[in-house]
Amino acid sequence: MVDLSDGRRRLFRRSKAPFPEREGAGFHLSLLQTSCCQLVSIMASRRALKAVLIDLSGTLHVEDTAVPGAQEALRRLRQASVAVKFVTNTTKECKRDLVERLRRLDFDVQEREIFSSLSAARSLLEQQQQRPLLLLEESALEDFSGVDTSEPNAVVVGLAPDHFNYQTLNEAFRLILDGAPLIAIHKGRYYRRKDGLALGPGPFVTGLEYAADCRATVVGKPEKTFFTQALSDLGCSPSEAVMIGDDVRDDVGGAQDAGMLGILVRTGKYRKGDEAKIAPPPHLTCPSFPEAVEHILKNLLLVE
Amino acid sequence: MAAKGWPVCSKSLKGVILDLCGVLYDCGEGGGVAISGSVEALKKLKASDLKLRFCTNESQEARATFVAKLQRLGFDISVSEVFSPAPAAVAALQQRGLRPHLLVCDGLLSEFDSVDKTNPNCVLIGDAAEKFSYQNLNKAFRILENLENPLLLSLGQGKYYKETDGLSLDVGAYMKALEYACDVKAEVFGKPSSLFFQSVLNDMGLQPHEVLMIGDDLVNDVGGAQQCGIKGVQVRTGKYRPSDETHQTVTADGTVDDLAQAVDMILSHRQ
Repeated sequence: MVDLSDGRRRLFRRSKAPFPEREGAGFHLSLLQTSCCQLVSIMASRRALKAVLIDLSGTLHVEDTAVPGAQEALRRLRQASVAVKFVTNTTKECKRDLVERLRRLDFDVQEREIFSSLSAARSLLEQQQQRPLLLLEESALEDFSGVDTSEPNAVVVGLAPDHFNYQTLNEAFRLILDGAPLIAIHKGRYYRRKDGLALGPGPFVTGLEYAADCRATVVGKPEKTFFTQALSDLGCSPSEAVMIGDDVRDDVGGAQDAGMLGILVRTGKYRKGDEAKIAPPPHLTCPSFPEAVEHILKNLLLVE
Repeated sequence: MAAKGWPVCSKSLKGVILDLCGVLYDCGEGGGVAISGSVEALKKLKASDLKLRFCTNESQEARATFVAKLQRLGFDISVSEVFSPAPAAVAALQQRGLRPHLLVCDGLLSEFDSVDKTNPNCVLIGDAAEKFSYQNLNKAFRILENLENPLLLSLGQGKYYKETDGLSLDVGAYMKALEYACDVKAEVFGKPSSLFFQSVLNDMGLQPHEVLMIGDDLVNDVGGAQQCGIKGVQVRTGKYRPSDETHQTVTADGTVDDLAQAVDMILSHRQ
């Protein structure tokens, strides 16, 4: 039995499919409570699901192992009339690296279908026509190829241990004092390396914020603009999209705050009780990606 | 301004506390340069009947080193007149049985000669400048993460200061970075801590209202002094920025162009 949330009911109300919800007795009861007149208006306002956003690490794969059945589930999803995009918070992997890893795991993914926090930073820079100082690792720079970085008037901070030193941080600081916006790929405190915990971008962003008396613009999940940007070239609104991920706040909470439905999978970083950490709760919490796809195909799409 | 406000308050003053970097000189490569008129202004102050102390958050070098540097720039100053965070921190470390991991400049290490640094149970950071590398910050972070009660001590919390080639991040930025990473609040020695200003007042044997602080840092010099009841005047040298004059939380008792102007105003009101 799936758990229904307000989000789910919202979509259901918009649905003009005669039987959008099939399992469980709840549906039949609610159908009986719905008068014919109401049903007609539901049918008239139906907007079908147009896009599915999918998180990568922890959702499609955990480190170098694919989630069982995920490749097949993705193939099934692609056969439905719905756009698919892969969204991820990364500070060091360019799209090409991400695609290579997914293909090694036998996922059918194109580079143009990936929207990462690096893509979001690039969109923001292009929108505001800014020339960034990029505190990013070599591997991430590929996603910024062609961006003018001469005489920088913006600062982008990702995870860049090679750049987190006194000289470079002073350079960034001076630009910010001169009015350059501070853009953070994310504000993670630390991450795990083979040799132990290591400082993430967050501490350095926080130090710059303090010294320059400014607030960074964070571009990755769970920011609302991240999700709307990811959908922008699909020509669909948040209410026509669903997000699948293993991070209850960054994936599900962020997507639902942006007006999408969010499906939480119990893989990757999921911990027991995560679904209770956001309000409203996830539209659906399910064991893993294949079940999420199954739910979408069965309940959120028009049956031809 | 009230009758006792700046600069009228100069009449009843008994002592003056001066900040160093940004007031007497601009620090930087090769020992820095004296700010125009400040050598002369210090001479005039010394010749007056006002008690004088120097209160700095300098944490790159031991007192003896930077005092010698100031003497070479022509300033009449001695170590016994200077209050800096490191000695205050050393006293606290010894009193509380704390063994610090130090992230400070090599030049400051001699201040900690008497302190046990084996098997650290806290991290102490100063303005480590070039030593603020990712590796060194990570090391400090891991030590804090491994402590049951992470304790971070900081020599000052300044945001930035002016070097001859531009503004540079001060220890405060790195203190905030470690605070954020470990979810702790640092204990700060030096300005703007009231304890620090109080120790200077005790040494002078004066009451707060009898003393004036002159500095270039609105929050740490002026704001810190004001919290102890000491009047604070900001100079438009060093790290001063025009936006300081419309700051949201701290309003200086007075703002002057430089130390020379401040000293002339003080002394003219005392004649």
